[in-house]
Amino acid sequence: MNTFCRTSLTFAFALLLLTVAPLTVSAQKAEVGEQAPNFTLPDTEGEKHSLAQYEGKYVVLEWLNFGCPFVGKHYGSGNMQKLQETYTDKGVVWLSIVSSAEGKQGYYPPKEMKAQKKKHNGNMTAILMDPAGEVGRTYGAKVTPHMYVISPEGELLYKGGIDDKPTTDEADIKGAKNYVRNALNQAMNGKEVDPNTAQPYGCTVKYASSM
Amino acid sequence: MVPRRLSMSMLFAALMLLGAAGVPVDADAQSSDDPSPHSEAALVSDVSAIAPGEPFTVALRLRMEKGWHSYWKNPGDSGEPTSVDWAVPEGFAVGDIQWPYPHRVPFGPMTSYGYSDEVVLPFTVTPPETLAPGSRVTLKGEANWLICADICLPAKADVQTTLSVAEAPRPSPEASVIAKAESKQPRSVDGWTVQAARSSGSYTLALTSPAGHEPSLKGAYFFPAQEEVLDHAAPQPVSRADDTHLITLQQSSYAEEPSDSLRGVVVAPDGETWDAAGEVRALRVNVPVDSTLSGIDVASMTAASTGGNGLSLPWALAFAFAGGLLLNLMPCVFPVISVKILGFAEQAEEEERTIRTHGTLFGVGVLVSMWVLAGILLAVRAAGSQVGWGFQLQSPTFIALMALLFFGIGLNLLGLFEVGTRLMSWGGRLQTQTSSDGRLGAFLTGVLATVVATPCTAPFMGAALGVALTLSTTGALLIFTSLGVGMAAPYVGLSMAPRLLKALPKPGAWMESLKQFFAFPMFATAIWLVWVFGQQTGNGGVALLLFGLLLLGMAGWVVHRWSASTLSQPLTVVTRGLVTLMVVGAVAAGVIGAGYDRPATASSSDSSSAASSEQWTPFSPQTVQEFRAEGRPVFVDFTAAWCLTCQVNERTVLNTDAVQSAFRKRNVALVKADWTNRDPQITKALESHGRSGVPVYVLYPGDGSGPTLLPEVLTQDIVLNALEKLPSSS
Repeated sequence: MNTFCRTSLTFAFALLLLTVAPLTVSAQKAEVGEQAPNFTLPDTEGEKHSLAQYEGKYVVLEWLNFGCPFVGKHYGSGNMQKLQETYTDKGVVWLSIVSSAEGKQGYYPPKEMKAQKKKHNGNMTAILMDPAGEVGRTYGAKVTPHMYVISPEGELLYKGGIDDKPTTDEADIKGAKNYVRNALNQAMNGKEVDPNTAQPYGCTVKYASSM
Repeated sequence: MVPRRLSMSMLFAALMLLGAAGVPVDADAQSSDDPSPHSEAALVSDVSAIAPGEPFTVALRLRMEKGWHSYWKNPGDSGEPTSVDWAVPEGFAVGDIQWPYPHRVPFGPMTSYGYSDEVVLPFTVTPPETLAPGSRVTLKGEANWLICADICLPAKADVQTTLSVAEAPRPSPEASVIAKAESKQPRSVDGWTVQAARSSGSYTLALTSPAGHEPSLKGAYFFPAQEEVLDHAAPQPVSRADDTHLITLQQSSYAEEPSDSLRGVVVAPDGETWDAAGEVRALRVNVPVDSTLSGIDVASMTAASTGGNGLSLPWALAFAFAGGLLLNLMPCVFPVISVKILGFAEQAEEEERTIRTHGTLFGVGVLVSMWVLAGILLAVRAAGSQVGWGFQLQSPTFIALMALLFFGIGLNLLGLFEVGTRLMSWGGRLQTQTSSDGRLGAFLTGVLATVVATPCTAPFMGAALGVALTLSTTGALLIFTSLGVGMAAPYVGLSMAPRLLKALPKPGAWMESLKQFFAFPMFATAIWLVWVFGQQTGNGGVALLLFGLLLLGMAGWVVHRWSASTLSQPLTVVTRGLVTLMVVGAVAAGVIGAGYDRPATASSSDSSSAASSEQWTPFSPQTVQEFRAEGRPVFVDFTAAWCLTCQVNERTVLNTDAVQSAFRKRNVALVKADWTNRDPQITKALESHGRSGVPVYVLYPGDGSGPTLLPEVLTQDIVLNALEKLPSSS
């Protein structure tokens, strides 16, 4: 029998795994039912917002890119703005995060972003700038819009799509089940959030360094 | 529409110009005046004349500019499938889109499924029987699709085709377009068996080839038709067991609950087909997810069923299996094989069925004891997890203990000391006692075989243990299962065919030699661990650890020199006490050595010589920021001493003259983020790049724009090309 071969295999096996194993350690990620990762980002005025400062309030994170047709569906129809208004009126903090890298679609310098917010009649609490994509990657935001709902205790209650009609057609908003509204209403009424995840749909987030 | 009907070559030239000038395509301007930007749609038919009641095919033909794509029925991580709203005359029935298989469209951490260049989406149309020959009919539809490159634009077009009605259908000149599209349709292929199974967090698709046609499916890919079932961006490792190919699929983190079926298309790698005739590249799949895969080897099955680790786990399991097999050749196990099998034979009075049952029960016994061991291990590990297990290799203490373990194993294999001789004889006695107890006896024999084998198992278990500690729970369990399966395989195999017993080689001195030989890989591993330890702690630490190894060697010698049987009671107590002290001392030396902090400058002795070509600045976010503020390109090397890939990349690529001079030429600031020891700043920086481990290579251009991540395995070309692409202004 070929002992040398087997020996080297066994040895390689031990060596390989000792080497490879640490590469599989998972990063801190936003998982439903767990504490949402904290972050600090500047808004269009340069003012810093961190998740921790909103302890005690419901927080909605919305990944935003005004150039994306899926986002256009929800802003063009006024659906998103209405949702923002309804819930910020109830004390919910609504943070729209732009993870587009400089030079890519959806990125605007703060001043222009302010103009964009006005142009789209945005009712979000703030638009946060994440051009390095750090927060987007931590949260695993894949598309715009990608929605997250966080409890006053900082627990991630919902992540996923805004509703169950993954299209760019404004006509589909009527009759769609809005998962963000659903999650907020259930949580505010002391119920379990169900569903607490749904397939997100939209355009890919235009991160820096798309490898 | 007219101005866009450029010839393809003109279009191409225009795009090349655009690309060369680096002009971003202005989305808003295009979308406002062009309903179908970067693409155009037309309707084609396979007949120019249709016959009453006879189905025919029309297809939506989408032509897309280079670099742009549209989407499959499951668009993957982003996008929207193409659709057509039909307006057809009364009595006509139009079927659903028959989707050709798509290709992957990777973008950053996401993967979409779609089509580039051109796609032909066929529909079957059935005209009414009452159609009058000689008339004409027009089929109209509004096509809607999403056209995307980096950005996405909704597109739509009104498409139509007019066909004449005849007694018999007449083919159209476009029939060949549709025929070509047909070849991309997924099909069922006779002879292939497809099964699916699920285990925590992942699915496995098992494809068994028919006799006579066994294509290589390395690189095959499963496109799920369902949207919320799989993680689209996860790799799909393919492994092979005999004529069965296993594709491991990662469950989507957005799946509300596991799916009870898998639907989609498996596309064979380039040049391979599912049928012997070489026509079908895409196999249609629609199977229930079942926990049992009948007729498929369990060991190789489990080998593929855990995702997350990509390719490494299946390999690891294969090695564990080989390790288990190898155990049977060790002196403590081999001699008992024949005794056991003969025992089966005796009690069964030559009745082969009973022998088989007993053989199987014996195998189960081995497995169960392996699982008990794994359970103990996992419990120990769970206790450690609170202090952040998973970073063990960053813990010098862990490395020191591993070095001691491997050194000890080596000494044991060389025969310096014996572990558990008493255990072995005890096990042997029990074995003879239980062999007459029938089925329970067979099971217990399996348990005992593991116990009896423990002295020899220990070395292999040691390696498995070290490995398992670094793996997920499932991974650890699988390693032990694989080891057990490997160990039980010959017994079970022999019980199936007892006549083979005669063919076995006789036990003898060769076994002892083999065992001793295995000591050397263990020593080699220990050397490597000491080297890692040295990187973490420095000279003083290494000296202490080596002293620990010396103590361990002495302890082994004492055990060997004054073996228990030759000593009086008090002397036994004294020597054994001494041995215990020495072992404790060895461990203490390792642990204390691990406490030696590496001097801050020890990482790069060459950092003192400013003229050195390998001028790496230690990482901190501020350093990177400062270099970038100066307008210099920055290259960050995330590395660790225990990461072999990193070492290889550094030696063969990063520190070569060619690459170093290219760095110098472009005035690239070199930053080294050494993750050998825990460093929250580096961990955080890694996370910001979406990574959780090393190696990671990040290149920031000098103009302040976002960084580029290079692949984990580098070549000189990759680095030089990346440098080439840097804006040359700096």
